[in-house]
Amino acid sequence: MEEGKIDALCQEQEVFQQKSKHEAMLERLSNLHQSRLQQSASRKSGLEDSSPAFESTQSFLARFAEMKHSIEASLKQCREASDPDSKSSLKSHLERISLAIEDLQKLVAENSYFLPSYEVRSSLKAISDLKESLEVVNSEFLPRKKFSFRNKVQKKEITQDKDVELDPTQTPELLSFASAVIPIHDSPGFRNKENVVLEKDFRAAGGGDFTLSDLNACEIRLRGCLRALYVHRLKNCRVYVGPVFGSVLIEGVEDCLFMLASHQIRIHHANNTNFYLRVRSRPIIEDSSGVRFAPYNLIYDGVEKDLKDSGLEEETGSWANVDDFKWLRASQSPNWSVLPEEERVCTVKLN
Amino acid sequence: MVGLDNSGKTTIVLHINGEDTSVISPTLGFNIKTISYQRYTLNIWDIGGQKTIRSYWRNYFEQTDGLVWVVDSSDVRRLDDCKHELDNLLKEERLSGASLLVLANKQDIPGALKPADIAKVLNLDAIDKTRHWRIVGCCAYTGEGLLEGFDWLVQDIASRIYVLD
Repeated sequence: MEEGKIDALCQEQEVFQQKSKHEAMLERLSNLHQSRLQQSASRKSGLEDSSPAFESTQSFLARFAEMKHSIEASLKQCREASDPDSKSSLKSHLERISLAIEDLQKLVAENSYFLPSYEVRSSLKAISDLKESLEVVNSEFLPRKKFSFRNKVQKKEITQDKDVELDPTQTPELLSFASAVIPIHDSPGFRNKENVVLEKDFRAAGGGDFTLSDLNACEIRLRGCLRALYVHRLKNCRVYVGPVFGSVLIEGVEDCLFMLASHQIRIHHANNTNFYLRVRSRPIIEDSSGVRFAPYNLIYDGVEKDLKDSGLEEETGSWANVDDFKWLRASQSPNWSVLPEEERVCTVKLN
Repeated sequence: MVGLDNSGKTTIVLHINGEDTSVISPTLGFNIKTISYQRYTLNIWDIGGQKTIRSYWRNYFEQTDGLVWVVDSSDVRRLDDCKHELDNLLKEERLSGASLLVLANKQDIPGALKPADIAKVLNLDAIDKTRHWRIVGCCAYTGEGLLEGFDWLVQDIASRIYVLD
């Protein structure tokens, strides 16, 4: 305290001597401040193009709504334009809309760091809806040429499928790139079979990962615990599996029945298939239709212990909480439903 | 935090954050976690990997210091797909300065490919020389390998930022 007092006194004494110095310093400071202001102003204006000049959800939403509205109006205009002569102008018009949608997407991306996640999600949803309707208008008014890339890919897939059907003994699906780089041993699994019952018992040792791939009209029975299950391209099959401690990944199944217990289940490209599930988290579907869900109902000697060991002894009812990644709306997805009780199979017992 | 669906991204983030990993639904959208790690604060964006939402990955690229690419080492069938998506990501200009940590997850599953094999399939050696990258084997379920990976990532980013200062 004493020291402070002395300092203050000294300063007071020096005030007169320093007056001119003091003024000079103030001037310097004010100059500095001025130039800093200028700098930041020029920085701001330089950035204006690439980054948002506002950080409020409200102004974002207003701008988003405005851009969205103008895109929707343009789309509507395209849909109503029936003049066949204006095809070329329609094309450039659609391209402009596509660019506008991209701008809108950019706007969301640039602002996503401060937006509430709900706003980000709903904005992205709005954008994907816009893209969808643009796609519809595109395909309606400017049909694709016959030999587009998409057709090629489809064709290739069909011939592949045919090969499989013609020659069921052929080697499993080639891993075009991976196998060219390193020798990959096939993971345990059933592949390329038709009209057979396939059984495997893991009760003694427990299994690691297991693959079911390219099966047609087969019945598959896996008893005991697995770590992971991969399912790829099954048609008209019935699949009964013991608990999977980990996840199940399903891609490309048609007219099948699955009975599965697992911590996570992902279903892609499934059609007309019934799933009897016990699952700890929400099962998800993507690019699927006509899939129906019911609770797991499988019995074999020791299934209770296997379920317990895998942490799946409890029926949490999650089998009915399906997320459809292609239907991000509050209303029920048209792609899946709960299998009515009277249509469910009875308890399945594997002897 | 990106990678194909079913690779274990959310499990890894929750494990690092010391949260329960027994019930995790596939990520519809994204999760953000802020974690104190050593002297640093990490903002981890865990972004869903399902096909439908991969096109939205690029909405999250702004101001990314580190990229964690998670691979399901037992999903041999989709390694091509995995390589393709990673290649696309590395072309992204906004990520050009980001350090890349590849986590070869699910090493606990018998038959899973080893990190060295994953590196070969993903052709990591061919990555642009300016990119800092590293591959680490891990198991999201037990947590093995996660610290080693994140230690490297955080140190690498930190050293880069201090050099810039």
